[in-house]
Amino acid sequence: MSAGVARGNAQTRIGRWWQDWRFHLSAVAVIVPILCFPPFYTLAMQASGKAGLGAREASELQVGPFPLKIAEFNTDAPIGQGVAGDRKVFSLALCKGCEDRIRAVYLRVGKPRSIRAAGALFNGPPSRMTTDVQLPGSISVNDGLWVTVEEWDGTVHKGDIAIETASPATAQWLRRKEGSQK
Amino acid sequence: MIRNLLTATALLAATALPAFAHYPFCTCTAKDGAITCEGGFSDGTSAEGVKLDVISYDEDVLVPAKFDATSKISFPKPDGEFYILFDAGPGHIVEVDYQDVEGLAP
Repeated sequence: MSAGVARGNAQTRIGRWWQDWRFHLSAVAVIVPILCFPPFYTLAMQASGKAGLGAREASELQVGPFPLKIAEFNTDAPIGQGVAGDRKVFSLALCKGCEDRIRAVYLRVGKPRSIRAAGALFNGPPSRMTTDVQLPGSISVNDGLWVTVEEWDGTVHKGDIAIETASPATAQWLRRKEGSQK
Repeated sequence: MIRNLLTATALLAATALPAFAHYPFCTCTAKDGAITCEGGFSDGTSAEGVKLDVISYDEDVLVPAKFDATSKISFPKPDGEFYILFDAGPGHIVEVDYQDVEGLAP
């Protein structure tokens, strides 16, 4: 026992050692948060836009009169969400000054058949909107990612980008899936 | 003191609700010439009253319907190519192509 601090009344040698030593476990309170820094900052930079729109450089996409930028949020393959299907998160930036004209932006794999079926709705600030799109079982890697822009006056514009360009991870995942079905 | 701290911690932990995703879903199965769709939201919310339209590839609404209290809908299988649209409002849609209906071989 040191410094006159009572640390318990263990009788055995190992018990006394534990009573003296266990204080060092408090270092865990510092070490564990430090170990968590890198993943935390990676995620924070993705979510705040410091790492661009997503995990990779954003692709340019012209939809009607609007030049948009689109990127996959992370480089992971789509995530299975049970009954809600396989899903993938994309982020999008509107052109400067376009936000006053644009009412909604939708994302879908394959060409949308109507504005009702335009797909997932982007939400968030105009410089960094995100959405979570479902990838149905019948899609193929050649279908393309379609962005639908709806203006306030009801005008609808459509534009597409190859899945391979916007998200190589999704393209690879789809090719692997198609390969296993053959 | 320790007991108070523990109680406070337990209370805090109980009030920190995890954020659940709220994905709409719609799964359809075909059996004996009829298609049954079950809809809902991934956080367990029922799809009662949500619109479901069966639309042909030519954009004709073949079956306009609404989910019942059991969150299900049954309708006879339409001829030709069609898709099923679960429509809970803009951005809250699920499209089920006839090729994705379980039991309907493409």
